[in-house]
Amino acid sequence: MTPPVWAGTRSPVPVTEASTGAMGAPAGAASAETARQFKRYSRRGKLKTRVMTKSNAALTATLVAFGALTVYTMLTINYGKVALFDAFVQMLKNLMVMFFQPGLAGHFTAFDVFEGVLITVALSVLTTFIGAAIAFVLGLLASANLSNRVLANAIKAVMSVFRAVPTILWVLVFTVALGLGAGAAVVGLLFHSIAYLVKAYSECFEEVDAGVLDALRACGASWWHVVFKAVVPEKISQMLSWTFIRFEINFTNAIAIGAIAGAGGIGYQLFLAGSFYFSFREVGLIVYCCLAVAVVLEVIATKLRKRYILHS
Amino acid sequence: MEARNLLQIEKLGKDYSSKSKALTDVTLSLPRGQFVSVIGSSGAGKSTLLRCINRLIDPNAGSIVFDGKDVAGMGRRELRQVRRRISMIFQHYNLVYRSTSIENVLQGRLGYKSTIAGVLGLYSEEEKERAFTILDQLGLAEFAYTRTDQLSGGQKQRVGIARALLQDPLLILADEPIASLDPKASQMIMEHLRWAVDTLGITCLVNLHQVDYAIEFSDRILALKKGHLVFDGTPDELDARAISDIYGTPYVEERAVRGGLFENLEEEVLATVGAA
Ligand SMILES: Nc1ncnc2c1ncn2[C@@H]1O[C@H](COP(=O)(O)OP(=O)(O)O)[C@@H](O)[C@H]1O
Ligand SMILES: [Mg+2]
Repeated sequence: MTPPVWAGTRSPVPVTEASTGAMGAPAGAASAETARQFKRYSRRGKLKTRVMTKSNAALTATLVAFGALTVYTMLTINYGKVALFDAFVQMLKNLMVMFFQPGLAGHFTAFDVFEGVLITVALSVLTTFIGAAIAFVLGLLASANLSNRVLANAIKAVMSVFRAVPTILWVLVFTVALGLGAGAAVVGLLFHSIAYLVKAYSECFEEVDAGVLDALRACGASWWHVVFKAVVPEKISQMLSWTFIRFEINFTNAIAIGAIAGAGGIGYQLFLAGSFYFSFREVGLIVYCCLAVAVVLEVIATKLRKRYILHS
Repeated sequence: MEARNLLQIEKLGKDYSSKSKALTDVTLSLPRGQFVSVIGSSGAGKSTLLRCINRLIDPNAGSIVFDGKDVAGMGRRELRQVRRRISMIFQHYNLVYRSTSIENVLQGRLGYKSTIAGVLGLYSEEEKERAFTILDQLGLAEFAYTRTDQLSGGQKQRVGIARALLQDPLLILADEPIASLDPKASQMIMEHLRWAVDTLGITCLVNLHQVDYAIEFSDRILALKKGHLVFDGTPDELDARAISDIYGTPYVEERAVRGGLFENLEEEVLATVGAA
């Protein structure tokens, strides 16, 4: 490694290690000396701006591992008798029909599709509302500043386990327990909504200035007073935004769940059109309908997040 | 006679951890209608003392008797009843900024409300009239329906005082009420507190770190040093020597008076930087 050369701003001559040592300190040498001590150089002698920290290293290792795994799988997977190229061409053809010639083909009426969308929206509204009400109370109990620390941590832990299991799995669990149908879909969606909203709400609540809570408690306010006169007014817009974001998630989930749990709605029609009638044009139409609703919800959700969550 | 005292504190002690003691053996009594300042360098235990009195902090030792009732050993329900007669004013105002001035002021009545009435905000016409009157007395009537995040620091603190007064307090605890305010607003806030003592007969216990304000406005000055009560006397008795004992620095007349302003300035600058 070549010794790096440092040109001091106050000194016209480049100062090397030897010269500073021998000639005593020029103006500013003390700071130069300390700065040098902390500098790091790459193998080519260039000054580094990034260093390999533990988390950096872990990230790189993970990415490399995933990359290797993907390539390995691609090379070794058993494609069976499917001719990869032919299958690909067929898929493109079907997709073309789906997305460039969407329309009705006799299995559903326009009203059926419309009703399907409505049922799915209703399912997501229902699960979001009930979920929000339950999550509000649990969220209060899960906030360290409003609750007992042990209880708060316990609720948070349980909720994070619930969240870790995907919604679809919850629905399957409840399909086993309650049988196929709308009941399992509602409870399954509800479960994940509650877990999600408890986290969102309790993080909001914990942001409330401790001084404001003190001020109300010092007046002799009761716990519910503190909740409704300080916490809710300060956080209502954030809470509504999170709730709407969850509504948007629930809508997409409700489509998928309509298909697997037989809960009805547009998802079930999609399932029928695709796997039962093999009517690609209808699949296309239904997908466009879902997409239209989802995009509208997504745009609103993004606006709310920007306005009330990120910049609050 | 002890029974006449509004507040009687005996051998009060508080330690946050086993190592450091925030308060040690503090004994004092406050009569009704007195303006009392507490001075001392930061970390001396001023806030801890105030917060023990209304039990925002639970003391470890000693007794606190307020208006004939033992605060230190009391249960939650009784505590609510005592707290409604003890108001608190804060350095950072601690208002609900998304609510209007009048809503913030009316929160002073929550201690008198059932859960349902409080949650639904069912205040009587009389309470609302009084809230307006108090806002008016503090020169804030025109801001009654303004959200408090749009008020200046001095105005916010006046809303804090209005909220405190609507409680019908016997005692107001003020924890550095003017530490974030400019000299003009500080003067005004201190005058309002003095007015509450003189015309309403309320006792004010005010933490200050500006000795000059303490001397100007108080009937009596207490000083804390490392959790001990080291001075209890009139402003006249607080001479240069006493001040240098309390703060542990040699006393220079000019610095003591200006010191307050400079510290204040520094806080203002820090607050601005923090906000940016
Ligand atoms: N919540 C707390 N936890 C631990 N120590 C605290 C806490 N609050 C205050 N202290 C300590 O107690 C002492 C007194 O603090 P405080 O009453 O805030 O002083 P002052 O208000 O006079 O500046 C300080 O040493 C401070 O560090
Ligand atoms: Mg303090």
